[in-house]
Formats: sequence, structure tokens, C-alpha cells
Amino acid sequence: MRRQLALVALCALAACAKSGTGSAGASPDGAIGYVRMSDVIKHHPLYSQLAQYETNIDALTLGGVVPHAVPGADVAKAQAALSKELQAAADRTKKLLDDKQKQYQAREAQAIGEALRAAGVSAPAAGAIQSQVSQTAGQQSAAVAQTAQRDFAAYQKSLQAQNQAEIAAAQRAITDKANRTYRAKQDELLAKESALTLELANRDAGARLALKTKLSSLALDDADRQDAKTKLDALDRGEADQIAAMKNRDAQTLAALQTELRAQVSKDIQTQVTAINARDLAKLHTRETDLRREFTGGTTSQTTTVAAAGQTPDLTPALRDRIAHLHADYQKQFTADAQQTIDDFQKTRSELSRRFAELGGADAAAGGDANAQIASLQHKHDQLYSQMVDQIKREASVIAQARGIGVVVSDPVAETRGVDLTDDVAKDIETLHE
Amino acid sequence: MAVTALAAFIAAPAALAADVTDIGFVDQGALSSLPAFQNASRQLNAYGQNLQKQYIGRAKGASQEQQQKLSQQFQAEMAQKQQQLFGPLFGKAQVAIASVASSKNLTVVIDKSIVIAGGVDITSNVRDLLTSPSDPVPPVATPPPSTVGYVDQSSIDNVAKIKTAEQTFASFKNDQDKSASDKLKSAKSESDRDAILKDYRKALDDEGAKVVKPVLDQTRGAIADVAKKKGIALVLDRTMVIYGGTDLTSDVTGAIK
Repeated sequence: MRRQLALVALCALAACAKSGTGSAGASPDGAIGYVRMSDVIKHHPLYSQLAQYETNIDALTLGGVVPHAVPGADVAKAQAALSKELQAAADRTKKLLDDKQKQYQAREAQAIGEALRAAGVSAPAAGAIQSQVSQTAGQQSAAVAQTAQRDFAAYQKSLQAQNQAEIAAAQRAITDKANRTYRAKQDELLAKESALTLELANRDAGARLALKTKLSSLALDDADRQDAKTKLDALDRGEADQIAAMKNRDAQTLAALQTELRAQVSKDIQTQVTAINARDLAKLHTRETDLRREFTGGTTSQTTTVAAAGQTPDLTPALRDRIAHLHADYQKQFTADAQQTIDDFQKTRSELSRRFAELGGADAAAGGDANAQIASLQHKHDQLYSQMVDQIKREASVIAQARGIGVVVSDPVAETRGVDLTDDVAKDIETLHE
Repeated sequence: MAVTALAAFIAAPAALAADVTDIGFVDQGALSSLPAFQNASRQLNAYGQNLQKQYIGRAKGASQEQQQKLSQQFQAEMAQKQQQLFGPLFGKAQVAIASVASSKNLTVVIDKSIVIAGGVDITSNVRDLLTSPSDPVPPVATPPPSTVGYVDQSSIDNVAKIKTAEQTFASFKNDQDKSASDKLKSAKSESDRDAILKDYRKALDDEGAKVVKPVLDQTRGAIADVAKKKGIALVLDRTMVIYGGTDLTSDVTGAIK
């Protein structure tokens, strides 16, 4: 009877040893075990931090870094606006030059008419010429004023659109910079928290294993079991308290940084908006003054006047010289004035080119910055992952040894007879920091 | 009689554990730090830097199509040089691993990175052979049958239905990337951002479960069926099996086509 009981007990123990795998895949030749690391990793206490790294990498990647070879949509839009502005500036310059030419021709014609009259050219001839000049000048002056008004309105509209785009871009750039600063700090603190968590787990691994082994002993009496359990709880609580204290400190640091960054963002945006508005207002004012100056004065056709003068037979050589001198004089003035307009255009073009370069540079700098941050985050992610895997491997080894499993591998492609330790390791790893 | 059977039953785990002493592993990372490999690596780097300079010079002013061609030529030349420098070293390492495995009656040698517990570590034996003045001698016999099999995942990935599933998922991901990227631009707070990213992840997970997972499950099932028929306990990826093991790739690709 005693022998039969012993047999039953031994059978029960053997059955326990086999059913203890907790796995449907356990089989009589289950000497090879395996762990699905991708499943176990999700049960690790640090998984949320690993996932946070992945989220941050996603955010940076989707934030416009991937299509890095081509400019971002906003930058492309801004560049198109600048191109349009450059074309408009070229058109305006051409029109200004045409108008100036007419203006100088008119002044020249008037001066020649006066010279003709002073030289005694018959009044009807000079009067006819002057009447024609006045009529033409009136029509042209009205047309030019109208064009100038339209030109100014278009410029104002273009400037307003550009102003709004610049303000929006500045706001985005400042906010992005602050966000990057915040996330960098957040990642830094996260890495420190992970390091402390792992350090504590590693430090206490020996003691924890000894206590767990003791607790699994059937021969342990109640007092010793309670003592071991109390010590294990104290170990877990000690670790949890240290980690919680660090997390609290980090949360405070982040809250303070957020307040500081918000204030800084608000201040920086205000400064930028004021600067952009002041610059655009000054531009508008200059433009208005220039247009007023440039389009005041009469207009006529030099050729008409010169032809009229040429048709008059009684011109003395001195009068012809005077006319030639007047022509040369106005030509010189026109050339100088036109040069000023061309110089203004060149300045505008240089300014626009500089802003083109800035746009491209800003985009590249932002992309480069984000790329470096992605690389850094990826490195931290891989480091943490590797530390977590090492810890899982240690726990899996202990389980395998206790279960008499000779070889354990991770992530097989498929299995038919191996012992699946995934669930057991997952449960064990979950309790690490409970 | 009953006691003998019981004793055998109780001793089963230990006896079965002994069965798997025919699985060895090598730390390939440790082997790559041997002077011969380090030297080859330095040579390849120097060659690569020099070649890169030449190609950058040639790529200046070239059209995009020409640049792509130049890039392919560059890759091909680098691969050729790599083969030239590392080919003999890999060959020698392969022979050394086979030699040690044979002398220790191992049926399979796998990479250390996937070993969690147990197995026979032959790294130091292989290192000794590789650093000895004479070349390692290849074993006479081929590796005995193993309970570990392997498949070449890249060949399996080329099966039409798997390729189609992966392409469908890649296209979906591309659309999701664009959509999430646009949404992130208008996010006004950290919580907006997190919500967008959460939706993005969920959309990818759902699509993966719908499009890719069924095909992967089917493939896994096919691999398990083939393995069962051939008496294989575990199937690993080919890149993880360095010596021995049973190649199941062609049977599996035939089964899932």
C-alpha cells in the first residue's frame, strides 16, 4: 500500500513537472524550448517607455523628414510666392522704365517748345505744338496715375499675403524648436528612468531569485514563507519607491520646462511679428512715396516735339545747338533715373534670392536636426530594447533550468514539438516591478 | 516492471535535455573582432572611401538617371570588393565551424544572438582554429540529421501571394504616412499629436492584421506542416543557422504557392 502511494505521489510529481509548462506545445521530447520575444517584450515593465521612443520616432519621421529630398509643402508654397513676387517686381520695373521714358520725353519736349518760343518761332506753330502736348500729357498723366494706383494696390496685397505667410512660418519655426527642446528633455529623462529601473532590477536579481526559489520550496514552514514573502515585497517596494521618486522629480522638471518654453515661445513670436510688421510697413511706405514721386509731372512725346522743331525752317545754328543740348541733358537725367530704378530692382531681386536661400536652408536645417534626433532616439530605443531582451533572457534561463529544458531559443519561424515558454516568461517578467 | 517504467518516465526531462546537447552556437560578433576580419574591414573601408570620392566626382553635373546608374555601379563594385576580401575568410570560418561541430557531434550550429539558454558554445574552439597558422581541415562526414530545420525567408517572401500582401500593405502605409504627416502639421497640442499617432499606429496594425497576418499565418502553418512531416522540432531563419540543420525552403515554397 505504501509502495502504491509512493508511486502515485511520484506519478503526480512527474505529471506536475510536465503540466507545469503551461503550454499546449509541451510534448514528451520537449527538451527544446522557445520564447516569442516580440510577445514577451510587450509584458516588460519598460515596454511603455520603448513604445514612447517609437511614438517619438514616428512623430519626427512623419513631421516631414522622410520626403527630405524635396522641399516641404509649405516651403514650396513660399518659394512659389517668392517667384511670383520676383516676376511682379520685374514687370513693375519694366513699366516704370517705360513710364519714366515717356515722362522725360515730355519734359524734354516742353523745354524744347519753350526754347522755340524764346527764339521767336511763330506763336501759332509753337502754340499748336504746346496744345497738342498738353492734351497728350493730360491723357497720359491720368492713365499713369491709374496704373500707379493699381500697381500700388497689387503690391500692398502681395505684401500682406507675404506678411501673413512669414508670420505663420515664424510661429511654426519657434513652436517646432520649443517642441524639439521639450521632447529632447523628455527623452533624456526617460532614458535615465529606464536605466535606473534596469539597474535596480539587476542589482536585486540575485536576492529576488533566492527569495523566489525559497518560496517555491514545498518544505518551507509558514513563518519562513511569510518572512521570505515580506522580504520580496520589501525588495519590490524599495525599487518601486525609488523609481516613483525619480518619475515625480522628472515630471516636475518637465512641467517647469514646459512653462518656461511657453513663455519663451510667446515672447519670441511677439518679437518676430513686430519685426515683420515693422519691416513690411516701411516697405509699403517707401513704395508709396516712390510712386508718388515717380508719377508726378507732365508727359508728351519727344519725337512729336522734335519733329515739329525740325519742320520749322528758320532755326538758327545756336537754336539747333540749344535743342541738341536740351536733348543730351534730359537723356542724361533719364539714364541716371533709370539706373536708379534698375538698381532698386536688383536690390529686390537680391533680397528675394536671399529669402529663397533662407527658405531652403531653414528646411534643410530643420530636416537635419530632426534626422539627428531620430538617429539618437533610435540608438536609445535599441539600447533599451537590448537591455530588456537581456533581462527576459535571464528570466527565461531560470525557468528553463527549473523545468529541465536543455536549449531555449528565441523567435523560431515555426515549431512542432518545442516547449513554448512565452507565457511563463511573460508572467514572470510582468511581476518584476509589481 | 512498473518501477522501471516509472523511473524512465521521471527521468524523461533530463534524458531529453541530453538529446539537445547536439545543438551548438557561435558568437559571430566575437569572430568578427579577430585580426584577420578587422584587417579586411579596414581595407574595405579605405577602398570604399576612395571609391566614393571617385563616384562623387563623376556624379557632379550628371542627370538623375545617370546618378542612379552610378550609384548601382558603386554598390556593385563595393560588393565585389567585399566578396574578394571577406569571401576567403568566411570560407575558412565555415570550415572551422564544421570541423569543431563534427568533432563535438553537433548536428546544428546556430547564431548566439537567438540562444537564450543551453547549447554548446564553440566560439573559442572556432577562434583557436582560425588563429592557428595551419588551415582548418574540413570534416569528412556531412552533418547528421538534426531536429532543427531552417527556411530562407527571402525566398519565401518572393512567393506571389506574400509579395502582393506586402505590396498592398506598403501602399496603405504610404497613404497613411502622408495623411498622418498632414494632420500632424495642424496639431495644436501634445495630446493632438499623440492622438494622431495613436490612430496612425492603429490603422497600420488593423491593416496588417487584415492583409499580412492571414498570409503569414498560412505560411507559418505550411512551415509547421513540412517540419512535422520531416520530424523537425523547431524551424529557424536561415540567417541564424551557421552549420547543419535541414533546409525546408523548397518544400515550404511549394506548399504555399
